Amino acid sequence: MSESVIGITALTRRFGAKTALDGVTLDLPRGAVYGLVGANGAGKTTLIRHILGLLRAEQGTVRVFGADPVADPVAVLSRIGYLSEENDLPGWMRVDELMHYTRAFFPAWDDHYAEELREAFSLDPTAKIANLSKGQKARAGLLVALAHRPELLVLDEPSSGLDPIVRRDILGAVLRTIAGEGRTVLFSSHLLDEVEQVADHVTMIRDGKIVLSGALDAIKASHGGGARVPTLDEIFVAHVGSSAAVARDA
Amino acid sequence: MRRTALAFAAQFRQRHRWGLLGVVGYLAALGVYNRLIRAPGPPVHLDNPEAVAGVVVIPLATTFIYLLAVFTFGLAGDLAARESIFPARMFTLPVRTAELVAWPMLFGTVAVSVLWLGTALFGLRPRGIEIGLVWPAAAGAAILAWTQAFVWMPYGLRGLRVIVAVLCLSALDAIVFTALTFKVPEPVLVAALLPQLPLAYAVACVAVARARRGDVPDWRPALARPGAVAAPSRRRDERFASPEHAQRWFEWRQHGRALPALVAVLLPFELAMLWLAGDTPVLVIELLLLVLCTPPFMAAFAAATVGRADTAAPGTSGLAPFTATRPMRGAALIGAKLRMTIVSTLVAWLLVLVATPLALTLSGTWPAVMDRAADTVSIFGAPRAAVLLLLLLAMCVATTWRQLVQNLYVGLTGREWLMKGSAFLALTLLAVLWPVAIWTGNHGGVLAALWNDIAAILAALGLLKLLGASWVAVRLHRSGLLSDRTLVLGAAAWVGVVFALYGLLGWLLSGPLVPRHYLVLIAILAVPLTRLSAAPLALSWNRHR
Repeated sequence: MSESVIGITALTRRFGAKTALDGVTLDLPRGAVYGLVGANGAGKTTLIRHILGLLRAEQGTVRVFGADPVADPVAVLSRIGYLSEENDLPGWMRVDELMHYTRAFFPAWDDHYAEELREAFSLDPTAKIANLSKGQKARAGLLVALAHRPELLVLDEPSSGLDPIVRRDILGAVLRTIAGEGRTVLFSSHLLDEVEQVADHVTMIRDGKIVLSGALDAIKASHGGGARVPTLDEIFVAHVGSSAAVARDA
Repeated sequence: MRRTALAFAAQFRQRHRWGLLGVVGYLAALGVYNRLIRAPGPPVHLDNPEAVAGVVVIPLATTFIYLLAVFTFGLAGDLAARESIFPARMFTLPVRTAELVAWPMLFGTVAVSVLWLGTALFGLRPRGIEIGLVWPAAAGAAILAWTQAFVWMPYGLRGLRVIVAVLCLSALDAIVFTALTFKVPEPVLVAALLPQLPLAYAVACVAVARARRGDVPDWRPALARPGAVAAPSRRRDERFASPEHAQRWFEWRQHGRALPALVAVLLPFELAMLWLAGDTPVLVIELLLLVLCTPPFMAAFAAATVGRADTAAPGTSGLAPFTATRPMRGAALIGAKLRMTIVSTLVAWLLVLVATPLALTLSGTWPAVMDRAADTVSIFGAPRAAVLLLLLLAMCVATTWRQLVQNLYVGLTGREWLMKGSAFLALTLLAVLWPVAIWTGNHGGVLAALWNDIAAILAALGLLKLLGASWVAVRLHRSGLLSDRTLVLGAAAWVGVVFALYGLLGWLLSGPLVPRHYLVLIAILAVPLTRLSAAPLALSWNRHR
């Protein structure tokens, strides 16, 4: 087994009376695409925010590349590419300014690759972020998350911003390329068919607890009752129950 | 219509029930105390500042400001933003704009009127203070209605709302005070104030209607061309030398231009008055002092945006993930912010230093300034007068920067409750300290006692500051947010600046009247330390929640 990129042990987080994460333990080895699935409010974003150091572990430990993301944000964040679901890129920046600004933080920034991505995403370099559509903003966010070829790519609900064509043709291809290069991708989604197409490993989370985690093929094999291999959607329904409808509709 | 009224009432009740209950409780307690508990005493005269401070100014001013904040929706939005502060979620309600505006304005004007009537009937009249019942209520209602109109209006520039509101409300205040000075009869005052309500309502309707259809003017492109010298866009082939350079550019583009823009808006109006004051040297000097006060004064407003952790996350005061995930230490993020504030301060002062001599020359008022300069030279001698002038300028620049950064730590926490609580506390302190200062000034005995103990008071304040700084330093050391080297260098730099200031003060104020240890204490208190050094802790609390 290769070294662990993310190691989480007994992580618990409460917001007031609500327990957002309840004793989560997770170990993500290098070089695969991990899908984090769960209904809205299950705890996916809270888990990702702990990985990025945006939330401090109240109980338990979080290690990314062996370091604590809160104690040593530079060491951790310089190796991560992150696409937030919040679409929070500064509206006053132009696309080329965003690229220049982000490049300054990442020595491994690849200008040629960034330009390739910009053209593939059809982004006008002189366009202001504020004037981009929601999908274009998500593409711009994805561009700056990818262009420094991060060792770990974290995508929080990328489907909520990207249109179906980008999701199917570009995101899928990019994620496979990254994994093929031995880098790691963690992405959260409530679109189970998308996760099924892209991810090698799946972690299901419900009410802050991990209910299922492992290689997608192994999970499918272990849930197969007969000749037919179950879909991820069916497995989700089996584990999460009625919340699945919410997850599919969301 | 009734449903809309109930909806607004429910919203105010739900969000501010404890505060509004507190106001009602205060009025009830005042009434019970004055009518049932306290025996009838000698009438309290309005020329007694102590009585005015205790009974009227402090609770009334604080409560009035609170009501202003509640009924303008100022507690829930960004006052400096270009967009209207009227809650956008209400724009989708199936009611006409006129109705949308009417209810909060009606509730607000009734609330401030009731506040005044309650204070007058329960607090003032039982103590024999005879003061008009109607005109103060009308003045309060007019101020609230106009504040609502200005605050709900979308503006073309960030921060412009604050300037417009301050200027217009000051004008309204000045009219009322002038009328009182000239003893204008109450019916005339009321007749002048009451028509303000429908006028303010009409303006507010226009404001909200524009905001409702998303009509937010944008004057930034017009100002961007002259501003391009100070903040050029990045050319496509241009690279930042380091992450620190990139972050400095980011901070400048996001917050740095606020102060120079505010000064640039106000300065022409102030300097234009030189043409009116040409024949009166005293007025020219007063105008120059006003100009010198403008950057520090406007810095207090600009600080509200500079201090905010992020403006990239609309509707939230926390750090946006985009900024929080920069691979930089918190200290470096703050360093970029501090450098931006220095540049912002210098640009604002550059505007003043270029525009003022130009205006003095063009208006022909230079001779008045030169006469005053000659007087100063004859008193202090040329070298000392030159140093005094430079010191005055340096103090103004330093004060401007200090205004920008001294409350940085509050904004960097990203906690809305802390920011609003801090603003409320500052206003309350102001409401308390002002009448207390007036009262102290009018009581020679108290003033003499304070002057005798001034060394002890300054020493206590200095000790408090150093204790606070020590606590912050220990926390910084334990958290590892700053390296030991940075902490030691920071402390050494602070001590160096304090000694330099002490030396300068000692040279300027040498004499038996001002003992040396006073100067040390003044230098210790003048150079920022505790609140500034708390900024990394505040940012860490925000960035890693």
